[in-house]
Amino acid sequence: MHHAHIDKFAYQDSPVHRLDSRVKFLVVLIFTAVVLSLPRTSVSILVCYAVGPFTILVLGRIPLKFAFKQILLVSPFILVLALSCPFYDRNPVSAAFGPFIGQVWAGWLRCFNIVGKFVVTMLALIALVSTTRFADLLTALRKLAVPKLLIIQLGFLYRYIFVLIDRAEHILRARAGRKLRSLGFKAELKTASSMLGSLFIRSLATAEHINIAMQARGFDGNWRCLSKLQFRRYDLLFVLVSAVFMLVLYFCVGHFLQ
Amino acid sequence: MHMANELLSVPVAAGTLAIAAGGLGIICRKARQVISSDKIALMGIMGAFIFAAQMINFQLPAMPGTSGHMVGAVLLAIILGPHAGAIVISSVVIIQCLIFQDGGLLALGCNIINMGLVPSYLGFFLYKSFTAGPFSNLRTYIGAMLGCVIAIEAGAVLVPIQAALSGVLVVPFATFLVTMLGVHLLVGFVEGLITVAVLGYIQQVRPDIVSDSLVGKVRLSRKAVLVSLAVFAIVIASGLSLFACGFPDGLEWSYAERPDQPDFGPMISNENPTIAKADDFQTRYSPLPDYSIRTSEMGKVTAEEINIAAGWTSFAGVTGAGLTMIFVWLTARILRRKNTVEA
Repeated sequence: MHHAHIDKFAYQDSPVHRLDSRVKFLVVLIFTAVVLSLPRTSVSILVCYAVGPFTILVLGRIPLKFAFKQILLVSPFILVLALSCPFYDRNPVSAAFGPFIGQVWAGWLRCFNIVGKFVVTMLALIALVSTTRFADLLTALRKLAVPKLLIIQLGFLYRYIFVLIDRAEHILRARAGRKLRSLGFKAELKTASSMLGSLFIRSLATAEHINIAMQARGFDGNWRCLSKLQFRRYDLLFVLVSAVFMLVLYFCVGHFLQ
Repeated sequence: MHMANELLSVPVAAGTLAIAAGGLGIICRKARQVISSDKIALMGIMGAFIFAAQMINFQLPAMPGTSGHMVGAVLLAIILGPHAGAIVISSVVIIQCLIFQDGGLLALGCNIINMGLVPSYLGFFLYKSFTAGPFSNLRTYIGAMLGCVIAIEAGAVLVPIQAALSGVLVVPFATFLVTMLGVHLLVGFVEGLITVAVLGYIQQVRPDIVSDSLVGKVRLSRKAVLVSLAVFAIVIASGLSLFACGFPDGLEWSYAERPDQPDFGPMISNENPTIAKADDFQTRYSPLPDYSIRTSEMGKVTAEEINIAAGWTSFAGVTGAGLTMIFVWLTARILRRKNTVEA
């Protein structure tokens, strides 16, 4: 079972990991909103915004390679949309960067803007998730009035995704070992649906066992959590610093930079 | 189909988040009456099942190299009921966002609506309305098939609409819409086939699970697959020809500014007071509020001057930001090394 191979960094310890998860969640949410509300052709200011999540990642000792790999993994859809911008918007705009002044298509500005916003907001999300244990994140969401049923559901999901993915990998390996060529659509479909069906039935059996075990231990539909969240002076400092960071960038630096 | 943050403006993102949160709240309250506490483990595992099931891929016909996998929303809605199905799929979408970073945090509302709420309820009710009468294999088949295709298409249509409402669309709306519809027609079609096949398998092995939703015996006949392939081909062909001979003019507008008409403003911002207000706010606090084309139209000299000045500030900004990052990184490194040496 390869549990926690996605959020393996959440179990480290660092100043960022020790922050209250509610505070982190809200700050990241607001940061994302601020970045999204930037004008659609601004590019260079995005680099300034990137300093925030970058600092958090470095302080939280998250390898930057991991963060960028993760971003690359989820980027295809947005890259297609961003790269199609230059084809639809060919108005020449004079853009200047330091000593270089040149004519570019307006679409390129938008393209870089979209990619830049994507990278910055993704960095912020990765900074949140990889420095917060999922249980703490769930406690935070519960405190922020997310329904109990949904929280339990998310907790279960997180716990069993990796178990079932392992099982699916076994089934896939079994098929790969037996099927050495393409079988045609009908047979492929039939094989795949039997695989899905058997995975489904086995998942049901697992669910029944878990349910019996939970009932035996007195599960009554409530979610109890060991981690207690506390809002300390340390968290206040973090809020203040990030508020100042965003306000300065938005209202002061934003006036000079595009 | 996962929406990214960048496809949305803040008002649209906030609005859809509010709708999704409200919807999920109501569903959870409703589900509490329907779902007993011993169903909770089942729902959790079903969510994980969806993840694992999406790994099981198979080759698609006529397109070597591509493979399809199931989405699972309609299957779950048929087996667990729409409320539980919607909660499970929404939780899958949330986990995809938080753990796998698939889809943005602010786009979560859109994603929950497009992939969770709409397919679950629409698919379930389409399936139910077709299978309401006495059992027939054909009706079950058509119900599941139409449920999957229409539910997934409905979710897919919402993506360009939300992007257009946000005004971030540079790609013409019609092109985006047709692309999404075309791709998801294929997805929905495969989904329908696999849903029927899996329902048939489950009914063979564990008839007690689907006893509420399936009365007779379902089976995927060769004829049914062939007929649906033919229907699919006809739909695709007619869609392609329609697209090839040019889309009707009424759809040929885009929310983005049109290059051929510089005065053509974004259509939607004037109509909706909230968005207009947000735009106004943005205009006031952003240095060069609109496209820089507008400034270059004002007169060449000023535009050049502005650009030179802006060029240097942006240069300074980027360099400063880069230097700060290097500084942070180096400091952290040095401090860390010191710590490890002391320890």
